[in-house]
Amino acid sequence: VITNFSYVRPGTLRDAISFLSAEGVRLSAGGTDLLGCLRDEVFDAKMVVSLGGLKGLKGITEVNGIVRIGALTTITEVAEHPLLRERYAGLAEAAESVASPQLRNQGTIGGTLCQKPRCWYYRGEFHCLRKGGDRCFARDGQNQYHCVLGGGPCYIVHPSDVAAALVAFDARISAMGPGGKRTLPAAGFHVLPGVDVRRETVLAHNEIVTEILLPSHGVGTRSSYRKVMARRSWDFAVAGVALVLNLEGERVRKARVVLSGAAPVPWRSREAEEVIAGSTLRPGDVSKAADAAMKNAIPLAHNGYKVPLFRGMIEEELAAYASFHSFP
Amino acid sequence: LSEERKRDYYLSGIPVPETPEKGEKPGPWGKTSVIGKRMPRVDAYDRVSGSAVYPSDVVIPGMTYGAILRCPYPNAIVKSVDTSRAEKMPGVVAVISGSSREADVQWPYSKDTRTKLFDPHCRFEGEEVAAAAADTPYHAWDAVRAIKAEYEVLPFNVEEERALQAGVPPVHPGGNRVTPRETYKRGDVGKGFAEADVVREREFHTECEIHTPMELHGCVASWDGKCLTIWESTQGVYAVQSMAAQVLGLPLSRVRVIGHYMGGAFGSKLQAGKYTVIAALLARKSGRPVKLFLSREETYLCVGNRPPAHMSIKAGVKKDGTLTALDFSAVGTGGAYPAGGTGLLDWLVKDLYLCPNVRTEMQDVYINSGPSRPFRAPGHPQCSWALEQIMDELADAIGMDPVELRLRNIPSYSQGRTGNPPYTTTGLRECLEEGSKAFGWKEARRKGKGGGHIRRGVGMAAALWAAGGGRPPSTIIIKLFSDGSVNLNMGASDIGTGTKTVMAMVISEELGVKPDLIQIENADTGTTQYATPSGGSKTVPTEAPAVRAAAISVKRQLLEMAAEDLRLDPADLLFEGNEIVSKNDPAVGIGITSVQGLKKRGVVVGVGYRGPNPEHRSINPFAAQFCEVEVDMKTGEVRIIRFLGAHESGRVMNRLTFDTQVYGGITMGIGFGMSEVRILDEGQTGKVLTRNWHDYKLPTALDVPAGMVSSPVEIDDDEANTTGAKGLGEPVTIPTAAAIANAVFNATGIRIVTTPMDPLNLVGPFAGGRKERQG
Repeated sequence: VITNFSYVRPGTLRDAISFLSAEGVRLSAGGTDLLGCLRDEVFDAKMVVSLGGLKGLKGITEVNGIVRIGALTTITEVAEHPLLRERYAGLAEAAESVASPQLRNQGTIGGTLCQKPRCWYYRGEFHCLRKGGDRCFARDGQNQYHCVLGGGPCYIVHPSDVAAALVAFDARISAMGPGGKRTLPAAGFHVLPGVDVRRETVLAHNEIVTEILLPSHGVGTRSSYRKVMARRSWDFAVAGVALVLNLEGERVRKARVVLSGAAPVPWRSREAEEVIAGSTLRPGDVSKAADAAMKNAIPLAHNGYKVPLFRGMIEEELAAYASFHSFP
Repeated sequence: LSEERKRDYYLSGIPVPETPEKGEKPGPWGKTSVIGKRMPRVDAYDRVSGSAVYPSDVVIPGMTYGAILRCPYPNAIVKSVDTSRAEKMPGVVAVISGSSREADVQWPYSKDTRTKLFDPHCRFEGEEVAAAAADTPYHAWDAVRAIKAEYEVLPFNVEEERALQAGVPPVHPGGNRVTPRETYKRGDVGKGFAEADVVREREFHTECEIHTPMELHGCVASWDGKCLTIWESTQGVYAVQSMAAQVLGLPLSRVRVIGHYMGGAFGSKLQAGKYTVIAALLARKSGRPVKLFLSREETYLCVGNRPPAHMSIKAGVKKDGTLTALDFSAVGTGGAYPAGGTGLLDWLVKDLYLCPNVRTEMQDVYINSGPSRPFRAPGHPQCSWALEQIMDELADAIGMDPVELRLRNIPSYSQGRTGNPPYTTTGLRECLEEGSKAFGWKEARRKGKGGGHIRRGVGMAAALWAAGGGRPPSTIIIKLFSDGSVNLNMGASDIGTGTKTVMAMVISEELGVKPDLIQIENADTGTTQYATPSGGSKTVPTEAPAVRAAAISVKRQLLEMAAEDLRLDPADLLFEGNEIVSKNDPAVGIGITSVQGLKKRGVVVGVGYRGPNPEHRSINPFAAQFCEVEVDMKTGEVRIIRFLGAHESGRVMNRLTFDTQVYGGITMGIGFGMSEVRILDEGQTGKVLTRNWHDYKLPTALDVPAGMVSSPVEIDDDEANTTGAKGLGEPVTIPTAAAIANAVFNATGIRIVTTPMDPLNLVGPFAGGRKERQG
C-alpha cells in the first residue's frame, strides 16, 4: 500500500535541492526501487522529486584524463560505454552484472550508490534497528544473505555491485547541496551501521549525487568484477569482488580488492591487497590473499558458507590474472 | 458433385477416419493427419496480444474491489476486531469480520476439519481476519488498514523436524500428528537386505516450494438476485462451484463459475479459496460486484505450497543389478491444517522399480504455516530426489552404469497397487534406451571431468507418475453448423497446457474441419457440462476420448441424413474429407454442407461421454531425463549445459505443446532443484521471509539451458482410451532435480542431499577438503 504523495519534476538542480528542505521528500532517479520501498513501507513519502528533468546529470565524458559519469547515467550506459569497457573493465563488468536488462536500462549509477539494503527483515514487516526499532532480526534470525565483515549492530550487506567497482578504482563522488558542491572519495561514501545504523550514505537529506569521477590508472592496469549469485541472473551478489591491479611486468605494483556481498558497505580488503602487492600472483600468493581477505570474517549462524565462497572466488579471480600473464 | 467440391472452401482436404459401426467402440487411429503434428495454440494470438480476457481482466459495471486483513502472526487468538473506522471511510461499501452475521459460515480446510471463515484462532501467518470492499483497490486497502484487530499471540512452531518433540506447541488440541504413522509393506526388507551384495543408506531433504503462478489467485463475484456468478482464475470451474455453493448454502444451480482463461496454477487452483467466498459475501452485503485478487505477497502465505520433505532411504542391490530391498521413511508437513503433507511421497519407492521387499513409513505433522496444496506431481519430485540418488549410489557401488541398473529392474505391473494390475504400457525401458541414445549418454559418461576447478558431469533419473490415465466423467457437446464450422462445448479448463488446441485437433482429425473453423467454449458452469478440474495430468486422456466420441456422434448423424438424401443405406456410406460418398460407387456422394438434414435443422449436435478405463489395468506415463552440468568447485556454482527429456505419455497429440510441456517441466524442476526455497523466520517470529520474486528465487532464463531437447517415446496404447494419450504435465518435472544432483555427483564425487543446489549449500561441501582457519 502506497500512501499519497505529491510529485514534482524540477528542471534545474537548484530547484531540486530546494524541494529537499521539506520533511518526507524522496528522490527518484531511475525509480526502480522507490515504488518497491514505498509499497513495502520501508519508508513513506510526502513528496517525490524526480530527477528525470536534469539533463546535465546524464552522460559520460572525459576531461584531462578524468572520466566523469553523470549521476543519472543508466547502468546500461555504464556497462556498454567503449571507454569504460576499455579502461575501466571492472566497472563495466559490475554494471553488466546488475539485475536484469530492464532494470539496467532504467536504473542509474547515482541510484545504485544510494540504494536501500535488501535485508528481508528491513524490507518486511519487522520494525528493525535500521527503521528505528530496537532490534536487528537478522543477527539471531535467518541471516544467510547477511554480512561476514563490518557487521553490528545491523548486519546488512550493501547491495551495489557498481559501488564496489567504484571504490576499487578510487573514484570520487560529487554531491550538490544548498551550500554548494562537495566531492568525496567513493571509499568514504557509505556508512557502517556501527557509525549510524539509520543511514547508508554520508549524504545529508538535502544533497544530491551529481557525478562520479574516475581517475586515470595508466598503463598496466587490469580490472575485473566477479559476482556469485543464488541464481544466474536478476539477483544481488551473494559474494562479489572488484579487482583493480596495476602490473609491472609480472609483478603486481598496486592492488585494490573490494568485496560486495560481504559487508554493510563496499568492503576494501587491505589484508588481501597487502599480500598481492609486490607479488607475481603465484598459486601460493593467490591462496594467501584469499585467506587474508577472510581473516577477520565473523560469520553468523547461517552465512558461514560465505567464508569459503569468498576465498574460492578470490582465488579463482586472481588465478585468472596469473594465467593471463603466463599466456601473453 | 464437382461443383460442390469447389464450394467446400472450409476443408483442407483432411482425410477423415472410418466411422465405427453403431455400438462399436471406435478403433485406434491408425495414421493420423492432424494429431501428432506441431500445431500452434488456437488461442495463441489472443493470449499474446492481450485480447484474451483472464479473470483478473474482468471489469463489470458497478464493480468494487475487495481486500483482506490477515493475521500477522503464525499462531494467535483474535481478541477483538473493530471495523467502525473502516466502515466510515470514503468509498467503502462493505466490511465483514468474524462477528458479522453475514460472514458466519464454515470453511472446510479438509473433509473433517472445518473452522469459521474468519476463525478466532489463526494458526498460520496470513489467515483471514476481516475484509473490506470499496470503489477502488486503494480505498479497500486503506479500509483494511483501518480495521483494528487485537491479538493474543501464542507460542508457535514452524519447524516440522521439531513438531513431535516434547514441549513443542501443538497446532491443534490433539497434537501435531495429522494422522497416525502411515505404513506400507511388501515382502521382507530384512531378508532383502541380507540377500543384497551392496546396501546404501542416506538421508535426503527437499525444501518447501511455492507455486507462484503468473496470474494471482482471485475472482470477481457478482449477484443477480439469488444467483451468484464468479469469474475465477481456476483449474476447475465445477470444483469452485461445488465449494462455493457448499460454504454459502446455495444450490449448485444458482452458482455459475466462469474461467475461460487462467494464468497458471500448478495445482494451487484446484478448488475455491477463502477469497472466493469472501468476495461473494462482500458482494452480497454491498449489492455491488466485487473483484478480489490477492497481492503477490499474500500468495506466498495462504494459497499452497509443495511440502518440505525429510526422507531416509535404504536400498539393497545384488552385483548383477537386481534390487533386493527398499526401505523408506519420511516426515512432511502440509502446514497448519490437514493438506497432504506426505501425500504420494513414497509412491516412486513402491512403484517405479521392480523390487520384492519394500517398506515405507510416513508421518505428516502440523506446523504453524500456510496449508499446502497439490503441486505438480505431489510427492514425486521429492521422492525422486531420494530414490534416484540412492539408485545412482548403488550403481556406483556395484560399478554398473546407472541407466543399466534401472534397465535391470523394470516392472510390467504396478507393484504399489492392490492386485498388481499390469500397466497398459510400460515405456520405462524405451525412455531409458532411446533417451540415453539421443543424449549420447555413454559417450558423455566417458568424457573427462576436467582437471581444474571447473568439473563437468552427466546425470540422469527416471520416473513414472502415479496418475495420468484420465477417467470419467466428462460430457462433451459438439455442434456442427450449416456452414461446416464447429463449436466445441467442454467444461474443462485449459490451464496453459494447450488443452483447447489438442481438442481442436481431435475434432479436425475426426471431422476434417480446419482448426480455425472450430470455436471452443469451455470452463463455464452455466453453459458447459460437468468436468473435473484440470490437474493430475489427466485432462487430455479424460477429455480427448469424449471429444472424439462427440465428433463420431456428429459423423454418424450426418451419415444417416446423407443416406436419406442419397436414398442409400447409411452402412454403405463413408466420410471422404468433406464429403459423404458411397462405398460402392465413389461418384455417388454429397458435400457435408449440402446435407438436407443439416440445412433444415441448422445444426447437428453430437454428445460424447468419457467411458470407463479398462479393468485391472494401471495407466501411467513414464520418463527419463538426462543432463550435463559444469560445476565450479571454488564457488559452488552449477551451470546446466544441456537437458534431454524422454517421455512416454502414449500418443503425442500435439508435438509442439508436448515439447513445450517438457521444457516447462524441466524448467520448474530446475527451480525446485537449484534455487527455490520458502524461508520461515524459525525461532524468532515464524513469519514467511521469502514473499516476493526477489527473495523467492525462481529460475531465470539464464538458469535454464539453451540446449533443451524433448525426445518423445511414442508407444501405441490402445487399451488406455480411444485416443491412446496419457498425461504429460506432471511427469515432466519429476526426475529433473535428481538428474541434476546425479550429474553434480558425477562431476564432483560429492552427493548433494539437500535442495536447493545453490552456492549457499554447495560451496561448503566442495571446500570440505580444505583446511579451515581455526577461529
